[in-house]
Amino acid sequence: MSFMRSNDNTLDVLVSGKRAPLALPNRQPAPRRGTLGTAFIGIGASLVVGIRAIYGFSWFIGQWNIYPNPVPELVAWILLIAVLVTAYIVARTVGDSLPDWMFVVFLAALALVIVLDFVAIWPLHDIGRHATASLAAAMSLLLVLTLRGTTELLIASGCAGLGIALAMAVNTSPDVDNIAPQLTSLAFAVLPVVIGVMLIRGFRRMVQIELDRVLIQSTVSAPRFAVGMLASEELARLDLAAEDLLDSVASGRTPLPLRPKTASIAASLATELRLHLIEGRRETWLYHAVTESEMLGRSVTVTDKGGLAGLLDANQRDGLLAATWLLVSDTAKGTAGRTVQIELGPIATERHPDAGRKLTVPILMSTTGVVRNRVDPSTWDAVRRVGRYSDSTHNSSLRVTIECFVDNPAEI
Amino acid sequence: MDQILKERDRLLQRTARLYGLSFTVVSLLCLGIPQAVPTVTYAFVVPLYLILGFTFYRIGISRSPIWLALAIVCGTGIMVTVAVTSQDGLTQASFSAISQLGAGALGSLAVVLTSTVRRIIGLVLTFIVVASVTVIATTTWQSPLQTAALLMLGWLLPSIIGIWITASVPLAGRRIASIGRAHRAERQASELEAQRRQSARLLHDTVLATLTLLAHSGVGVAPEALRQQAADDARLLRQLRLGATPTPQSSGQYNLEPVEETVLGTTLESVKQRFGRMGLEVSWHGTGQVLLPSDVLDAFLLALAECLENVRRHSGVTEAHVTIVDDATTVRAMITDAGVGFTLDDVDSARLGFKESVVGRLKEVGGSARLFSAPGSGTTVVLEVPR
Repeated sequence: MSFMRSNDNTLDVLVSGKRAPLALPNRQPAPRRGTLGTAFIGIGASLVVGIRAIYGFSWFIGQWNIYPNPVPELVAWILLIAVLVTAYIVARTVGDSLPDWMFVVFLAALALVIVLDFVAIWPLHDIGRHATASLAAAMSLLLVLTLRGTTELLIASGCAGLGIALAMAVNTSPDVDNIAPQLTSLAFAVLPVVIGVMLIRGFRRMVQIELDRVLIQSTVSAPRFAVGMLASEELARLDLAAEDLLDSVASGRTPLPLRPKTASIAASLATELRLHLIEGRRETWLYHAVTESEMLGRSVTVTDKGGLAGLLDANQRDGLLAATWLLVSDTAKGTAGRTVQIELGPIATERHPDAGRKLTVPILMSTTGVVRNRVDPSTWDAVRRVGRYSDSTHNSSLRVTIECFVDNPAEI
Repeated sequence: MDQILKERDRLLQRTARLYGLSFTVVSLLCLGIPQAVPTVTYAFVVPLYLILGFTFYRIGISRSPIWLALAIVCGTGIMVTVAVTSQDGLTQASFSAISQLGAGALGSLAVVLTSTVRRIIGLVLTFIVVASVTVIATTTWQSPLQTAALLMLGWLLPSIIGIWITASVPLAGRRIASIGRAHRAERQASELEAQRRQSARLLHDTVLATLTLLAHSGVGVAPEALRQQAADDARLLRQLRLGATPTPQSSGQYNLEPVEETVLGTTLESVKQRFGRMGLEVSWHGTGQVLLPSDVLDAFLLALAECLENVRRHSGVTEAHVTIVDDATTVRAMITDAGVGFTLDDVDSARLGFKESVVGRLKEVGGSARLFSAPGSGTTVVLEVPR
């Protein structure tokens, strides 16, 4: 996920699907930065940094007598503590993202801490064994983990690691006995930030996927044929455009007879309006769910000529959606190359003995890139809620046939 | 909610894998420093390192505790092997390798050992085992207190990561769920709004008719009449936009009030007026007073108006006759003109819009339409709707 310097807040995320430019009715919202819950993660990261700092500080106290001149080291620690406290307070009050200048000040202060630490331990000629404040400072990047782009943090951490490594190379003799402590210190300085960055990326992705899933879940309760989230806006836009045009004709602003250009605008307006009024309401909840979802839109295709998906009740819909979701989203091996084709109908002509007065809608879910024994077990629970199923393997990918019993729309 | 909890476990597993693997690599690098351990030690520990690496890879995918146990066995096995085979005592490098394993690589297991009470108990036991082995293995090199402090740090940090993620995910999940509820309300509102606009069908029919006239640049219609029509329609659209249910009294031809039954006659008169303004004289014959359910009436009037519009545009005459007859079950309209007519096979149905707008609309209310025409002998359309 790329980091976006936007002011997305929860509400923007919520309505971004709806506020998309009307000219592109099925446009997916731009990649969103999941901000839900990250503030809480930020507190956890601060806690981790705090504990690390306490550990480093106790080392500093422990080797107080070793320093040829402890003053730079003391200054480094005082500065580091001040930076940590300030950064914590700022991070709690600044909201969603740290302004650039604050980030630069933060980085500069940390760099100063590292330099002061090295000045204090330089005469000892063993950075790996004696560095304290610098290692804690390098890890302190985690304080702004949730407030800045992950790439920036990786670069900053890489620079810090490079600086420490260079200082070690210049200052410490590459003795067999000396290499291991240098390596250890370097790892403790850099790895926590890398792990933290990967964690927060995963967390944001998880939140985004869940948001996507929850938003399309609302299609489960939609009527048999629905218009989708953007249709009413689209209709409103067309009505308004028609109103403007008619108004300008009525008031004489647009002279009669119309110029060809205006006439063609009127013609296209009429066509679009007709399409929306007459041809509208032919898409089912499943179509809307797939087109509105970032996740499903990429890899799921629906073939449902008769609009039969609309006949499924809420529980069956929920099951079908969950099963599709599980087949597509199983991230163990990445979703690249995974596709699901859902085919509904035609309605079975002979009545199934178990079906009673209900109609039988056959559903075929054919997939590519989904291995039968890698499928999440809860997929089968979800499929079972849709109807009786049987599964097979076709071109080394899973294929599920479901017999789904639905109420006859003519009888209700 | 189950979904996101599953995702959470996956996230923790992947984090543990990255954490464990990176510290395993650092530990192996320390051991790779020349003279770190006797050569014979490598024969034992390198396979163990490989198994440990594979185990961490599996921990990233599988939740099974077997892999955790295997990781502990491999990790402590390496420590014990290094300590036992170094007869001259540990070197700095082998000590670093052991502490990287004990405090770093194995500490990563704490990330996935926080989600349930049983796992937390497992975490405590694991820590005790690993810490004891590490302290004993390194006791010749460093005081147990210092090693213990490092181990505490090494296990506390991943535990915090695990606990924090475990706690924050349900929190985020609840907020996402409330967004989902808001979204559902939004979708319903959107659906209702679309319904309201779509159900203003008659309004849109007149708007569409006027737009179609404008699309032909308004040629053939008196400008004053067209302006009047446009003003009426714009006013109706404004009312719709402002949320009112428009009740067009002045142009009068469309009744948008939700009435159960409407008298056909009054509305027929307004259709006649509308076409009169556009230069097509419509003569009515037959029944003037028929009661129809409003949706049937809508469809009937729309179909009628579409037919008259086709007469006006294509027939080449300025007069049309409409005959309305009704019996106990059906209301029937015959629209006749004496215009140019056409061959039915040649008709460009898309251009006439006959199929969609006339046949389709009538079918929806259980009616039908039939078309009779031949070149040079005019056109007759028969529309039927049930009463």
